[in-house]
Amino acid sequence: MSSIVLQQAINGIVVGSLYVLVALGLTLIYGVLVQINFAHADIVTLGAFAAYGVTHLLSGNYLAGIAAALGLGAALGWLINAGIFVPLRERGSELLPLIATIGVSIMLQNAMLALLGPIPYAFDTPYSNQVIRLGTLFLTVQNVLIILVSGVSIALLYGFMKFTFLGKALRAVSQDRETAGLMGINPGHLIMLTFVIASALAGLSGAMLGPVLVLTPFAGTSVIVKAFAIVIIGGFGNVEGTILAGLLVGLIESYTTQFLDPGLIDIVVFALLLLTLAVRPTGLIAERREENV
Amino acid sequence: MNAFSTFARLAWIASCVLVVATTTSPAADKVIKIGGLLPMSGPGSYFGAQDKQGIELALDQLNKSGVNGYKFEIQYEDSACSPLPASQAAKRLIDQYKPDVLIGEECSDATLAIMPIVEQAKIPLINAGSSSIKITDPGNPWTFRIMPNEVMQGVDIATNAYKRLNARTAVLLHENTNAGIGNAQVFADTFTKLGGKVLADIGFGRDVNDFTAIATRIAGMGGVDVIPTYTLEGQGLKITQALMQAGVVKGGGGKAIQLGTIWLPFGFEQKAGKAALGYIRIVQFDPTDQRPQVRDFVQAFKAKFNLEPTHLNAHAYDQILLIADVVKRGGKDAQSIRDTLAQTKDFSGVTGSVEFDKTNQNVKMDTIHYMETKPDLSWTSLKWN
Amino acid sequence: MSKTSPNAAAQSRERRVWYLIAAVIVAALPLFVTDSYWRTNLIVCALNILLAIGLDFVLGYAGQLNLGQSAFYGLGAYSSTLLVLKLGLPFWAAFAIGTLMAGAAGALLSFFAVRLRGHYLAIASLGFAVIIYQILLNWISLTQGPLGIYGIAPPPTVAFPGLPQIAFGDLRNLFYLTAGFTLIVYVLLDQMVHSPIGETLTAIREDEVSAASLGIDGPKWKAFAFAVSSAAAGAAGCFYAPLVGTLVPDAFFVSESFMILAMVIVGGMGTLVGPVFGAVLLTILPEFLRSLGDMRLIIYGASVTLAVLFMPGGIVEAFHLLRHRLFPEGEMR
Repeated sequence: MSSIVLQQAINGIVVGSLYVLVALGLTLIYGVLVQINFAHADIVTLGAFAAYGVTHLLSGNYLAGIAAALGLGAALGWLINAGIFVPLRERGSELLPLIATIGVSIMLQNAMLALLGPIPYAFDTPYSNQVIRLGTLFLTVQNVLIILVSGVSIALLYGFMKFTFLGKALRAVSQDRETAGLMGINPGHLIMLTFVIASALAGLSGAMLGPVLVLTPFAGTSVIVKAFAIVIIGGFGNVEGTILAGLLVGLIESYTTQFLDPGLIDIVVFALLLLTLAVRPTGLIAERREENV
Repeated sequence: MNAFSTFARLAWIASCVLVVATTTSPAADKVIKIGGLLPMSGPGSYFGAQDKQGIELALDQLNKSGVNGYKFEIQYEDSACSPLPASQAAKRLIDQYKPDVLIGEECSDATLAIMPIVEQAKIPLINAGSSSIKITDPGNPWTFRIMPNEVMQGVDIATNAYKRLNARTAVLLHENTNAGIGNAQVFADTFTKLGGKVLADIGFGRDVNDFTAIATRIAGMGGVDVIPTYTLEGQGLKITQALMQAGVVKGGGGKAIQLGTIWLPFGFEQKAGKAALGYIRIVQFDPTDQRPQVRDFVQAFKAKFNLEPTHLNAHAYDQILLIADVVKRGGKDAQSIRDTLAQTKDFSGVTGSVEFDKTNQNVKMDTIHYMETKPDLSWTSLKWN
Repeated sequence: MSKTSPNAAAQSRERRVWYLIAAVIVAALPLFVTDSYWRTNLIVCALNILLAIGLDFVLGYAGQLNLGQSAFYGLGAYSSTLLVLKLGLPFWAAFAIGTLMAGAAGALLSFFAVRLRGHYLAIASLGFAVIIYQILLNWISLTQGPLGIYGIAPPPTVAFPGLPQIAFGDLRNLFYLTAGFTLIVYVLLDQMVHSPIGETLTAIREDEVSAASLGIDGPKWKAFAFAVSSAAAGAAGCFYAPLVGTLVPDAFFVSESFMILAMVIVGGMGTLVGPVFGAVLLTILPEFLRSLGDMRLIIYGASVTLAVLFMPGGIVEAFHLLRHRLFPEGEMR
């Protein structure tokens, strides 16, 4: 029994790492802009397809696929910011970009459907069916890769935010846009940078989950609602909280499957969300953002 | 006055031309109008896209020479695999296109929502994708189903699992949909009645993506003989691979046998890889079938689409061929097509033969084949039927 | 209105004229729209208007972003249907209880609105919607879950003495019922937002602290706005069930909440008349686009985005701007 508990912990961490990758982008954008990009999920999906396409074209070069997904994600982030968030910024409403990106999401999803079709793609990387076994425990090499890539991206992001000038500037913008402007930083450029980084992360997460999840034009949508939950449970705009919450949701998922029923996963996750909001409205790790509480 | 009479004369001539045109044209091209209610948006488009291919091929072939002087024409509407859009789509087709016969939907919920509408409009509906028993039992006189329902499939699989595979324990895996729950329920009832034991009944939404946790849970149960699985291709692939990774099924060194229904397409094994080893499943369309019509179909399909036909392609193709057969037997409008359809005795399509019982359910089980996946990922027929 | 300045009196008279015009349009529509497909579309429009003006009341006036509308819609639909099927209640009793239950659930959700604002409240209500959806899906012994409930009967025939019977299996009558109800709710909400209640809610939206200093009980009024909003959605659900005849949980998935929100935003938030146009547009547009096949939803998505980009104040604001440009001097009000 204990080996099963351990195995489910591993399963939960793998899934949780994927969720963290998806949720980090959302939380970054929220942290800086206090706005939500609803098309984030579709950038994830497009990243997965880009990775699939390039990996297959280059006969199994998954690394090139990951690079393509990162690039496509970054480009889409730039496009969505320039096309939607910048023109709507002066209206100052948080709802307008949300609805506009819902439109983008519908558009992208159906464009993918028209071009790529609804039949699931079998995205096998050289690692997806290599199983490492330790006694009764098992883990595919792909899953090890997922944990590694998530860990490295988180570390890089963290280092970037804490130790580089741009990263500090980003945090300054997220805390106080006017002061940041006084520091000689162009907030517009920084917001663009945020979008590019967040969307590149979305593309990357697509490349990582493409081989694990069911790859159709709806792949990203199936994780985005949970990503929202993670962002909240962790505290909007709070990177550490997001990581913790992502892993927590992954673990809830695997233990709910083991001891209850997979049909109940969403109920448990969202009950936790409501509980978090009722008890600690700022998320697991408190960082007060007065305007929202 | 003069101007008015010129105008009147012109109008009179114009109306004569119109009358002549409308009275002569039907002789040239008598048309059977088919309304296609297919899910074409959202995840359900998995079905619609493949149905369309089978339909297009059948229409190409039939319209070369026509049947009894009739040509066939189709208009599609996106019924989205969901009750409200499906009933909207059905009403739109019926009101505006005025079809003689309808085909569709795939999802049981949508089909059940459409049925009262077609009954009221008195237009026959041919279904080849929804397995819920409710569609024909109680059903209605205007709805026909050409594939075996969940009870026919489930009883057969459970009986074979118990008697031929000597399975005594089962874990049910199914998507939480009408069809998934219904099929799993029939298996469980039959299997338990025979003396088998259902260790767990695990349902999951269509948005569940990672099946490692479920596979781990099954691995922890130990001693599972069969795992009847009711999902579509995408989730099916992930389940099979996860069961292999967890060492539950033969492909992963375990003993359990995965059982499947007609939901999975030909070519599933190639996508799943060695994880599919030992998978036993029903196929209702066997592209390796040596009957001439199947060989012709496969060849024509490959020529047109450069793809191996799936059971969905084949079912859609058969729906159109069945309509053509009915027209050959004298069907020419909604009422006569319904009446002729009901008398269908031994129509032979690429998926099998069709004969309707009193509830308009196809009773023929002749092309339910049990297939086992061999190490080279090809099929071997088990000849259980 | 307490302070009846001549201007306010004129405005309230003008509003009454508009109610009358709306009633005439509702009465006349089925005379021009005769096929069952378009009549069904009209009914769906009426339901979506009900959902959208309900959301606008809590969002546009009280400033509370409620993404739980899909859940209240579903609660109304399922509770009214189950009350008829399981307890044998008459439809109208079930309708009343279903609407009230949705309203009560909304008041309950306002507990979060007291503590949270902005996106936090949005996500809390979204979480609530996910949970309700999952309960509908998983509580199979009660709701039938994904197996669905089929053959739901239309509301019972009404017979007034001396008049022909009104059967709601007839789409025309069902349209009059739903559109008539929606119009009544619209009039009630419109009267409310132009009364001191509206001023109170707007005060809470603008600045909660100063509203409190004026003696406004914020939590109570938020609960009120939530209850009204969700009761409207619940009522729409009660009509949904007999219209479609089929209930499956997927009809009340959270994406429905976002579509209702889009109707409010595209129409013009905080105007009540805006969401009416938004709801009609976003309901009819995908139907008009049907002949486009694969392109249909791509164009639909693009239209939503372009609508927000080029009419950020919604249809209503765009209309006012247009009117200003056409009649620069003609002061209408």
